Amino acid sequence: MSEKLNQLSFIIGIFFILVALVLLIGYATTTPLKHGINLYTGMAMMVFGLVMIKLKA
Amino acid sequence: MNLHFADYLVILIYFVFVVAVGFIIKKKITSSNDFLNSNKSIPLWITSIAFISANLGAQEVLGMVASGAKYGIMTVHFYWVGAIFAMVFLGVFMMPFYYGSKARSVPEYLFLRFDEKTRALNALTFAAMTIFSSGISLYALAKLLEVILHWNFDLCIWIAAGIVMAYTLLGGLTSAVYNEVLQFFLIVLGLSPLVIVALQDAGGWDTIRTNLDPQLTHAWKYMGNADTNPMGIHFMSLIFGLGFVMSFGYWCTDFLVVQRAMIAKNMSAAQRTPIIAAIPKMFMPLIVVLPGVIAIALTKSALDSGDYRIPIDATGGYDYTMTLPTLIAHYYPSGLLGVGITALIASFMSGMAGNVTAFNAVFTYDIYQAYFFKNKSDKHYLNVGKLVTFFGILFSIGTAYIAASFNNINDFLQLVFSFVNGPLFATFLLGMFWKRTTGHGAFWGLVAGTLAAAITHGLTIAEGKGGWISPIYPISSGMGQAFIVASFSWIANFFTTIAVSLVTKPKPDEELRGLVYSLTEKVYGTEKRWYLKPAPLGIILLVITIVLNIIFF
Repeated sequence: MSEKLNQLSFIIGIFFILVALVLLIGYATTTPLKHGINLYTGMAMMVFGLVMIKLKA
Repeated sequence: MNLHFADYLVILIYFVFVVAVGFIIKKKITSSNDFLNSNKSIPLWITSIAFISANLGAQEVLGMVASGAKYGIMTVHFYWVGAIFAMVFLGVFMMPFYYGSKARSVPEYLFLRFDEKTRALNALTFAAMTIFSSGISLYALAKLLEVILHWNFDLCIWIAAGIVMAYTLLGGLTSAVYNEVLQFFLIVLGLSPLVIVALQDAGGWDTIRTNLDPQLTHAWKYMGNADTNPMGIHFMSLIFGLGFVMSFGYWCTDFLVVQRAMIAKNMSAAQRTPIIAAIPKMFMPLIVVLPGVIAIALTKSALDSGDYRIPIDATGGYDYTMTLPTLIAHYYPSGLLGVGITALIASFMSGMAGNVTAFNAVFTYDIYQAYFFKNKSDKHYLNVGKLVTFFGILFSIGTAYIAASFNNINDFLQLVFSFVNGPLFATFLLGMFWKRTTGHGAFWGLVAGTLAAAITHGLTIAEGKGGWISPIYPISSGMGQAFIVASFSWIANFFTTIAVSLVTKPKPDEELRGLVYSLTEKVYGTEKRWYLKPAPLGIILLVITIVLNIIFF
């Protein structure tokens, strides 16, 4: 884990996964379908975050 | 604009991560070279993204969206004329001298190529410019947060400066570079949804073209006459002023960006850094110019689909600088609003940190070590580098408080760059490619260039600025004025350098090896595959750039 934290792509990946979770949880807990842009952006950021982590995993 | 819990949470996550990056890097910082130069150990993909991100500060994000709304699609000239060609030139022709000379900074290259006084002049003007730019970024960030979120101006200044100080003091240049990469992705991913929803709201690109004045949707078509385009400049002024003087002056000689290539692992990576950075740079107008064009389309036309309008300022004109924040406020719901605001904060902090890390290297190496304490221990210079970072940020805070009287950040920064960078490229062009150029020639050329910039600014007036000697030549835009100022300063430097060099004694050839094109052994083919070679990559990028110019002609 310590070694991974030294990898920039891992840090970026974690960051975007956390931000994606904020957007997705926010979407799920607010009025349904009102803020679809949060859902799409959250999903895109989640995929990006996972790819960044996978790059150096 | 009101933020909710989710928005604050995103901002908090960002702040925690940027400071955490500093802590992670901290244990790797054991020498001044680590702190100020990253020990030339940064991978290519990071140096490339940092190269473009160092330029992705206030000027780029808010300024280019503002210019997109003000000048329309012509703003792409800052990318397809004013960046790509210079970045390719830097990678193919100039990096071998910067990297190969083992110079730790651009002023140090000037010392090796010319003499001490030329380095001193460049180091001092560069140091002043970086602090000024850093202060502008800080001021703009605080002002923005005060206007759109009603946050306390002073608190914003001190918190933003404190966070930048924390991660740059902890991890030095490496920390700043790592955060620039994070900031780049945040800005791109955070602003992309805005472009998509706003474009959809405006009815798509074809509808925008139909509803806008054609001068705002063509890059070149109306540039044959300065009176028929919104920027108010002739295409020859644009090509020479922006495409040659300012562009090459900034991308090829400004240590802020060149430093990102100089910390690459080897010569090949250093050469490819600006060339690979040119790929995202080429498509950056989609993120930072297109929103401005969409905004003016929504504002000017009677589009039924949206109710967005660019805000009006105190004079009754459009407040272009507020275009991006108001677009974010209009289209982003809670959650994504936090991402958008964080992207804006990231862009300002990125610009500030880039300036501060360039400043501390130049001040430590080219002013402190060169003129005050030459032979101290490495630990001494490491401590000095940290102190310089601390005081550099304090000076930035000072300049932030005096930078309040300009209505378009982009115009203002272009003007500042034209004074300092405009003449500089002539010095490098002659120094690298004409071995007869002397130190006296370079020095007096720079002095003449800067004086010419000041005089030209004093004799021209645009949007109420300049004309402090006599406003005898009115120009319709601040942008056009900056191009003309830069052009005259370059011409003055170029001819003064040649004239003085011809009557002064040049350095012997043996002292110029590795510093001048004709005296440097050409090293080709260190990379076997063609797509890893700088020249073929550069040619492909230039062809794509020309095609983009034709598409948006």
